[in-house]
Amino acid sequence: MNKIASSIAPLLRNWTLCIGVVLLVIIFGMAISASWVFPHDPYDMVGPPLSWPGAYEGMWLGTDSLGRDIAAGIFHGARVSLLVGFVSAAVAVVVGAIVGALAGYYGGVVDTVLMRITELFQTIPQFMLAIVLIAVLGPSIETIIVALGAVSWPTVARLVRGEFLVLRERAFVLSCVVMGMSDMRIIFAQILPNALSVISVMSTILVATAILMESALSFLGFGDPNVITWGTMIGMGRDQLRDAWYIIAIPGGALLITALALNLVGEGLNDALNPWLKKREA
Amino acid sequence: MTSLRRPFPWKFLITRLVHAVFTVLGIAIVAFLLLQLAPGDAAQALAGESGTADAEYLASLRAQMGLDRPIYEQLGAFLMRILRFDLGYSFRYGTDVASLIFSRMPATLLLMVSSILIALVGGLFFGITAARHVNRLPDRLISIFALLFYATPPFWIGLMMILIFSVQLGWAPTGGMINIVAGHTGFAAVLDIAHHLVLPALVQAFFYFAIYTRLVRTGMLEVLNLEYIRVARAKGISENRIAYRHALQNAVLPLVTVVGTNVGTILGGAVLTETVFSWPGVGRLMFDALFQRDLNLLLSILVISSIFVVIANLVVDLLYCVINPTVELR
Amino acid sequence: MMPATATERGAPLLEIEDLRVAVRGRTELEVLRGLSLRIWPGETLAVVGESGCGKSITSLSVMGLLPEALQQIGGQLRFAGTILPTGDNAAMRKVRGRRIGMVFQEPMSALNPVIRIGDQVAEVILEHEDISRAAAMERVVELLAQVGLPDPARLAHEYPHRLSGGQRQRVVIAMALACRPELLIADEPTTALDVTVQAQIMRLLKQLQKDLGIAILLITHNLGLVAQTADRVAVMYAGRAVEEADTITLFSAPRHPYTQGLLRATPRPGGRREGQLPLVEIPGMVPSIRQLFPGCRFEPRCTHASAVCRSIDPPSHTEGATRVQCHHPISTLEALS
Repeated sequence: MNKIASSIAPLLRNWTLCIGVVLLVIIFGMAISASWVFPHDPYDMVGPPLSWPGAYEGMWLGTDSLGRDIAAGIFHGARVSLLVGFVSAAVAVVVGAIVGALAGYYGGVVDTVLMRITELFQTIPQFMLAIVLIAVLGPSIETIIVALGAVSWPTVARLVRGEFLVLRERAFVLSCVVMGMSDMRIIFAQILPNALSVISVMSTILVATAILMESALSFLGFGDPNVITWGTMIGMGRDQLRDAWYIIAIPGGALLITALALNLVGEGLNDALNPWLKKREA
Repeated sequence: MTSLRRPFPWKFLITRLVHAVFTVLGIAIVAFLLLQLAPGDAAQALAGESGTADAEYLASLRAQMGLDRPIYEQLGAFLMRILRFDLGYSFRYGTDVASLIFSRMPATLLLMVSSILIALVGGLFFGITAARHVNRLPDRLISIFALLFYATPPFWIGLMMILIFSVQLGWAPTGGMINIVAGHTGFAAVLDIAHHLVLPALVQAFFYFAIYTRLVRTGMLEVLNLEYIRVARAKGISENRIAYRHALQNAVLPLVTVVGTNVGTILGGAVLTETVFSWPGVGRLMFDALFQRDLNLLLSILVISSIFVVIANLVVDLLYCVINPTVELR
Repeated sequence: MMPATATERGAPLLEIEDLRVAVRGRTELEVLRGLSLRIWPGETLAVVGESGCGKSITSLSVMGLLPEALQQIGGQLRFAGTILPTGDNAAMRKVRGRRIGMVFQEPMSALNPVIRIGDQVAEVILEHEDISRAAAMERVVELLAQVGLPDPARLAHEYPHRLSGGQRQRVVIAMALACRPELLIADEPTTALDVTVQAQIMRLLKQLQKDLGIAILLITHNLGLVAQTADRVAVMYAGRAVEEADTITLFSAPRHPYTQGLLRATPRPGGRREGQLPLVEIPGMVPSIRQLFPGCRFEPRCTHASAVCRSIDPPSHTEGATRVQCHHPISTLEALS
């Protein structure tokens, strides 16, 4: 019991991590509880149009131009944001880690070919590629996840490759080679776990970026038309910018807080996992 | 110690040039694969669901692309089209696609270059300030703001700035690039464009400003701990000179590379900024093309933008050679 | 040669008196615990000791360049008769590079990779003297020639990465001497270099000292180097100078048990007949600054220690030509046996 407390204590002192985690838990809570708190379809008209936050009873975040409850949109939108963010980041991490690991471990021709492909994908403007992919595949949650995963993996690949270049020279890897362990086991069971801390820090940033990109696609009107997202809400509220700016401000704030929470978690993890970084700066 | 002027790093540049050629080839192949993914045959997909293409154009396109021939010949034909910058004809705009895109390039470039400059100048200044007051109040404030800018969706900042500066305060126009009604000429026209440019350039800069601030801060902290900085202090050099003459140039070297890799992302972001501010550039064109399901125009923009990124990266490499005297070692 | 006494030599150039440096905010953790040293104009004082005894902190204190984590909490530094304003960065800048030059251990990283060599040397002169750029560059070329670099006019236009470690150290020496300082602090100036280059650099430093009449504070752990180059030696242990004497006296008749231990642990050329004493390591380790106890810091490792050593930190006193901090200094006879 005491042991657990003493290992958690330094994490609690890491306030960036704490704030980030608390915010994330709240947003996850909103996503999970959306169907109970707002059982109706968030696209339904439930009150008088364009009522300001607090002006109409029960609509504590107000309604948009079609009388839809903004609070309901925020809760249901959290689901889409988190789903798309986490799944597409997971896709990017898996693809990027495999490419980076193979390139970094084998080096030589494998490295050259894989890194050329990675650089190619970094050259093509990310957001434009995502747009074309969605135009080709049609807008849906699945295609958006594929498109965002397809544009985010190169960063992971380069990071993992860098880690592998360093780690494969370590004594423990050499001893595995001497023991006759298979390459795949060395790569995934021995080296990759050592790169996990850097990968996890990067993943939080990837999730935030994916959430922002999804919202941008929805904002432009190219999100999944069947679900409500924060980006869609901002896009639909654009015409009321002059008189009812809260329609845009509220989902934008939700996006900002979510991305901020993820970045805080990333920074906090970085401090907790790489304490020497902090020391060097002090 | 063989010559007074260091030899120009030709080898480095030639490698990069060969690299660039292969990248362009790769881009064309990616575009070809995307086209294969689209529903219907490639000619249909390219002619567009916009319904503006006539049967004759479709037939000639099919023949040109060799859709009856094997896939590698189709790829060859596709590559030849791109190499000749023969990107097809847009019936909607009544011009060929290549010249349509190039006519929109200057507006995008103007916006991109101004936002990179804003982000660089701001990032350098605040990054250096933060590093020199590390872990004290200015550093903490700058870090918090950088984090905020990094996490805010840029199109939303754009809308909020329009709300505040255009709608409420009336300081800036809500969108567009020139005031056609006023019909300014000469210097007045330049001022007019600058007036329209301020908000979109700022909005597009925020995210990169945040990145550069943090990069410069870490870079400076790293460099300020190096031995030659201690030596400079022992020489009695002033702290300002140490920060700006000794540390900055070394801290900025990695930044140059990062700006190079950001060109692509900034171009992608232009789709949002230009849509929010009705800026008549390539990004706005892409939004319209997507709205009209004009796949040919979309793919053409993607290819040309990517080629532009390749060229921009070459320029950055050249710049890197100029400012880093040790580059011949690499 | 008999060592001259303080009165014969005139006033010391640098006088470190009871210098105390501690961890910032934790004043009980002392890195320097009342260090006293003196250097006279034109002489070479070697400061020796194991790593971690505070040698480098001493040199950084003199320059007013202590790292953020450390803080001077007592004592004073007197340079050419006036107190050094070590806490005042602006005032110290006028001393650094102009009156006190410094040469560091790592020549490979001591030069800024993106600034031409000539500009890095000229920078010192331009910072401290009212002189035109062209005149400064002329001086730079002279300096580079003086430190024995070939083709100095062309070299001034080169970037540091074209130079070898020994050549870079020559450039660093040129920078340190550019304004003709009265004192040169050389902190392990040859440790990072090849053995043959080490000798060249030390010869260069001695030659420059003869030509320019500068005093050198040589910080090193290499006793062989000390025997060849130093006029006087201070032995540091755990943040104090436990013994200070002229070189011949110290090597022939060490008074402090620690000095004796150091000498026994080091093979030395000349001076003694070989095989007289076997090489012996000093048992134990330098105590951490976190270990607080009232007695002599060397007591846990000392073969001469008694009860008083455990309770009272020995004060400094003079034994013949030697200043020593020990309750039971080794007598001359004992040392020679």
